[in-house]
Amino acid sequence: MENPRTPLPAEALSHLDALYNLARWLVRDVVEAEDLVQETYLRAVRAAHQFQPGTNLRAWLFQILRNTFFTQYKRKGREPETLDPEVLDGMPHTSGTVSVDNRMAGPLDGTAGLDLTAALNRLPEEYRSVVLLADLEDFSMGEIAAILECPVGTVKSRLFRARGILKQLLRDYVE
Amino acid sequence: MDCSEAREHLCDLNRGRLEADAAEAVRAHMGQCADCAALLQVEVRIRALIRAQAPRYTAPPTLKARVQDLLAESASPKESVTHGAAAGTHGAAVGTRRTAGRPRWRDVFRGHTWTVGSLVSAVAVLLVVWAGWLWLARDPVSLLADRAVAEHVEYVKGTMTRPVADPPAVMREVKGQVGFAFEPIFPGDSQVQLVAGMVTDLRGKPAATFVYRDGSGRYTTLFLMPEAGIVIPDEGRMPIETFKPYHRVTSGRQLLLWKQRNLACLLVSDLDQAGMASMFLKIRKTA
Repeated sequence: MENPRTPLPAEALSHLDALYNLARWLVRDVVEAEDLVQETYLRAVRAAHQFQPGTNLRAWLFQILRNTFFTQYKRKGREPETLDPEVLDGMPHTSGTVSVDNRMAGPLDGTAGLDLTAALNRLPEEYRSVVLLADLEDFSMGEIAAILECPVGTVKSRLFRARGILKQLLRDYVE
Repeated sequence: MDCSEAREHLCDLNRGRLEADAAEAVRAHMGQCADCAALLQVEVRIRALIRAQAPRYTAPPTLKARVQDLLAESASPKESVTHGAAAGTHGAAVGTRRTAGRPRWRDVFRGHTWTVGSLVSAVAVLLVVWAGWLWLARDPVSLLADRAVAEHVEYVKGTMTRPVADPPAVMREVKGQVGFAFEPIFPGDSQVQLVAGMVTDLRGKPAATFVYRDGSGRYTTLFLMPEAGIVIPDEGRMPIETFKPYHRVTSGRQLLLWKQRNLACLLVSDLDQAGMASMFLKIRKTA
């Protein structure tokens, strides 16, 4: 009995570095990032028949990586510690400037010299992923929404809030 | 256009992805709203900072080889069910190393997939057991050194070049996150600057981690972690004035390990042995 398998487009390999980069930012561990990327390609190979030629392979691979991360790490509580996304989601938009709720002010105080890497790592995964996909990978809001499987408005909201947090964490750099 | 609408478009405006009409409307709003104009500046500066300075990690050659194997296998015209099922089984085990089959080997045995599959599986199991035994047989200090050097190499790949503006604030921040106390560490001087402070994980141990960079672009990383469970070998000590830290060279990097006030201190550096000794004294004498 034979199983006709649809091969992944050869272009898939060209996205390896970008996928690995996001994986490193998500799991922050060299070995686990390698495993996450390899698992991503394994799943992509298995699901290659679902990929529509001519559509966005890069976004599709990122979506698989993010889903793999979510199922293998986040749901099992293995995600590195970050700011609490529920607290962040509950934050009101201020009318004038972006602000961070005082409930979170403790760990954010005195972070003038906090390194950019550390600041990005402080963001909850939902916010960090949006920032990295938008700024490092140049995905559009629509593509990010597809990757994260959420509405475009949510992506914009998360990016906006992430900017506000990063502004506080990196105030020596951005002010 | 109100503030809410304008803010929705900040990112797209900054990236030049807005239609001309929409961009004009947002800019018109910015001209009348100082708050939104300030938010646009935040958007511009943070995006520029991230694009310029956020580390970009590149896939190790070993990973690239494994993915290439995987893709080559998927590109084969037909796969047997046995082989596909094996891939599925492996795929469920994230966190372990996997080796994709090499097509040219399989071609030699084409037509005997069941036997070949069993043989390959058996050899793979033996290899994994053997590799695992070799890994476990290594001493804890070697494992710690390997991991610390791997972390250090990643920091070097990054673009952390700017000295931190306020080293004591970074130390306080790291101390607040790492979960154990430590004395103030070397804040940098005219020759070497502190460029980053963060919390990392070294083989399950949280480590307060500080990265320094000298004027020649050579990096030194200091890891501080609770000393419990870390036994420093008596052999391989390096006399530096009155101190005798454990010294080794791992993957071309100088490495020093010592204990200080209930903490294990691990220093990994691109410097030569003399430079490393000088850096050690700066750190050792600060606390």
